[in-house]
Amino acid sequence: MENSGEHPTQHPTHHVQHEQKYEANAEKGNFYDRHHLIFLLIPVIMLIGALAYIIVFYQATGDIMHKDVTLTGGTSLSIFSDNISTTALEAALKTDFPDVVIRSLNDVQTGKQIAVSIETASGPDLLRPAVEKVIGYQLNEQDSSMEFTGNSLSNSFYNELLKAMLLAFLFMSVVIFILFRSPLPSLYVILCAFADIVIPLAIVDYFGIRISTAGIAAFLMLIGYSVDTDILLTTVVLKRRDEETLNKRIHSAMKTGLTMTLTALATVLIAFSLSLAPTLKQIFLILAIGLVTDIIVTWGMNASLLKWYCDRKGFK
Amino acid sequence: MAQVNFKMTWKMWFLAVCLVASIFAINPLGYFQHGVLVKYVPENSLSSQSGLTKGEIITAMNDLPISSMADYSDALGKIFLNVHKQNITLITNKAAYDYSAYNLGIEVDDNLGITFIPTELNYLNITLNETVESINSQTISNISEFNAIRDQLDQKIKLTIITNKGTRILFASYPEFTVSEVPKTRLKAGLDLAGGAKALVQPERKLTQSELADLITVSKERLNVYGISDIAIRAASDLSGNTYMIVEVAGASPAELQDLIGKQGKFEAKIGEDSVFVGGKDDIKSVCRNDASCSGIQECQQSQGGYYCNFQFVIYLSPEAAQKQGEVTGKLDINMTSNGERILSKPLDLYLDDQLVDSLQIDASLKGKTDATSISIRGPGTGTTQQEAFNNAKANMLKLQTVLITGSLPFKLQIVKLDSISPLLGKEFVNNILLAALGAGLAVALIIFIRYRRLVYSLPILFTVGAEILIILGVSAAINWNLDLVSIAGILAAIGTGVDNQIVIIDESRNKKVSHTLKEKIKRAFFIIFGSFSTAFVAMIPLWWAGAGMVRGFAVTTIIGICIGVFITRPAFSDFIGQVSDEHN
Repeated sequence: MENSGEHPTQHPTHHVQHEQKYEANAEKGNFYDRHHLIFLLIPVIMLIGALAYIIVFYQATGDIMHKDVTLTGGTSLSIFSDNISTTALEAALKTDFPDVVIRSLNDVQTGKQIAVSIETASGPDLLRPAVEKVIGYQLNEQDSSMEFTGNSLSNSFYNELLKAMLLAFLFMSVVIFILFRSPLPSLYVILCAFADIVIPLAIVDYFGIRISTAGIAAFLMLIGYSVDTDILLTTVVLKRRDEETLNKRIHSAMKTGLTMTLTALATVLIAFSLSLAPTLKQIFLILAIGLVTDIIVTWGMNASLLKWYCDRKGFK
Repeated sequence: MAQVNFKMTWKMWFLAVCLVASIFAINPLGYFQHGVLVKYVPENSLSSQSGLTKGEIITAMNDLPISSMADYSDALGKIFLNVHKQNITLITNKAAYDYSAYNLGIEVDDNLGITFIPTELNYLNITLNETVESINSQTISNISEFNAIRDQLDQKIKLTIITNKGTRILFASYPEFTVSEVPKTRLKAGLDLAGGAKALVQPERKLTQSELADLITVSKERLNVYGISDIAIRAASDLSGNTYMIVEVAGASPAELQDLIGKQGKFEAKIGEDSVFVGGKDDIKSVCRNDASCSGIQECQQSQGGYYCNFQFVIYLSPEAAQKQGEVTGKLDINMTSNGERILSKPLDLYLDDQLVDSLQIDASLKGKTDATSISIRGPGTGTTQQEAFNNAKANMLKLQTVLITGSLPFKLQIVKLDSISPLLGKEFVNNILLAALGAGLAVALIIFIRYRRLVYSLPILFTVGAEILIILGVSAAINWNLDLVSIAGILAAIGTGVDNQIVIIDESRNKKVSHTLKEKIKRAFFIIFGSFSTAFVAMIPLWWAGAGMVRGFAVTTIIGICIGVFITRPAFSDFIGQVSDEHN
């Protein structure tokens, strides 16, 4: 652009072409240049809202998430049967086991019941005979599954897994710094990864979803998935400054990144609707929520922050 | 679709080699192997004497071909069609006994005095040396008449079993060995997919590596002695340094695990405050087991609301223990009971895990004797029917014998997690996972096609996903890794990142705005790919230890998957895409 201003006579045709292109780009660029802060606002509001919700939640319940029996301690009994009424069972057990949660596992193709799962904080020695009394027959190892986790063990599981998450986040941050070597863009990636965990956490808390050990593993998976798109964006923006304008670079990174996230999202949604095992279902649900969040956070927050950074540093 | 001529580069050859190696590792030859697998042959049984061993594959029985468990059940039904328990009335000079069994069971000498009573009939209280007078209303006056009736009643069928190792012949009224399906592949399914029992055991304090190894050895021995063979025990620790033992048994009930491992099994015999002997090989030289002359169920009686049976077995002390016993008894006084028996002033108290389980009167003649080595141990079993009480007594006797033989576990243990998974439910899960994977694969192909509108991109992505899954499974089979539900989730995580990376490669190679060579473009794509690989890798590392490694399967398959992706499948994929782009440009 500076060239065409200084030497108009030397490159007349190119000058005209350049100028036309510049004006067209300037139109596009101006829109994004003027409004990109709005894209930043939405994820920031979501992040602040999520943090606020979690703080309130912590004060109300003493913890940052609802936990199921694998993390609080208790028994999970699954009966392989196709004709047990969950409502009748719940009514019969509710008085002795007020915290009981009963679910029916149905075949995805026929809708027929395959199994019934019963969860409570009480021990198996109490639950099993009570259930046998209601259904009218004795359970054995062929037709039923039982998982029991002691109280102290499940507490230690929970703390261990939270520690694992913190460590994973820490290691990931170190790797990001080594990759990009610039402190601020690395910080943006880490901030977005943080949002990609906190916002889905607030969402599952809001809907009362009880997290299991597998659910926490899903949050760890989120760290990997969400950071992928941020790495893509930051690499394209920072390391390819000689190729195209900033906005164009963001645009092309977005095309690739959205394909990536939408493919993953489709996979996870289909897996969620087809899966039978509650363990897997929870993993896929958390991933789905996380991926949708990732779209907003990466292309809203991370992109806007990088653009701001580049504008201030004079990168074009 | 444009014709794509591609040549195989070394990276693609490498991928092909890995695929073939994985197929070998998984070894799907099980699909072609017909028959049933012999899982367990009891020791000193007719089956073991015929040469039948664990691991052989039965392909035919009595000329009936056997290719599956269904065939085996049918064959059993046909062969033992007429074998059933029959009612036997045995009248001796002492009493009349009614029982129902496959065979006569008892044996006599030439004078028709009973010389052997099988353990199953102990509850009848038949005593040795009673003379047989009649069987099923037929008077028996000599040994040949006895033999004739015995042969008539004994329903032993000749079994000709053809296995992959040879032909076995045995006579039995029912098969004592157990069989299972021949495993179709070398892939091992974890407990939540195959069914079984799992316990997480925590010792009373943190153990060192060698202490934990000792504990595992003794626990394995205890389970083996009890009769459970399909065991996997491993050590585990968590991020806080706690040490655990994870015990997985296919086919045991959680109650058995609780009794055998959950309790330390500290057996001690004391007179007053003095310890005389403890369980284990040092003090107890041998324990009578499976020998009707010194162990068995003694008597069954009716009690309030049910029955109870008593078991009894003899143990033999080591010379040192007998010496100690003599020293302690020497210090006691002699008392007289109301029946006029002379006994010592204190009894021999038997403690199991610090709880008194029995108290034996000591005959006065044993005072000070340092060579009295045989001690008789008793105990009860209860049930609502006599048969139930009998079985309960038998089980209790077996557990006590096990504890006395193996001694106490070196540390006090607590079972902190106990799982029992039904194999039926596990099978449903496996089928379901395959369905979900298929659905997800189709979705991926569709989206890629919509985005790029070229099959030449969709098909290779599908192929690469399939290849990655196959190689991950191959590696799992090779390292004997148990694939449980969280492992499967890990595989999905790895595949997901893989597809993401492949999209990056495609987009980079198609980037016309840049004047770099194709090689350079691919290299730049790999910077992004390597970045995502490293972050996923380090995020998984803490899961190896967290929570006693209960979700370790997730970390393992994810890491295997992303490594395979970065080092094997993605290089081959990028070569292929490079060739496609060249053609395109």
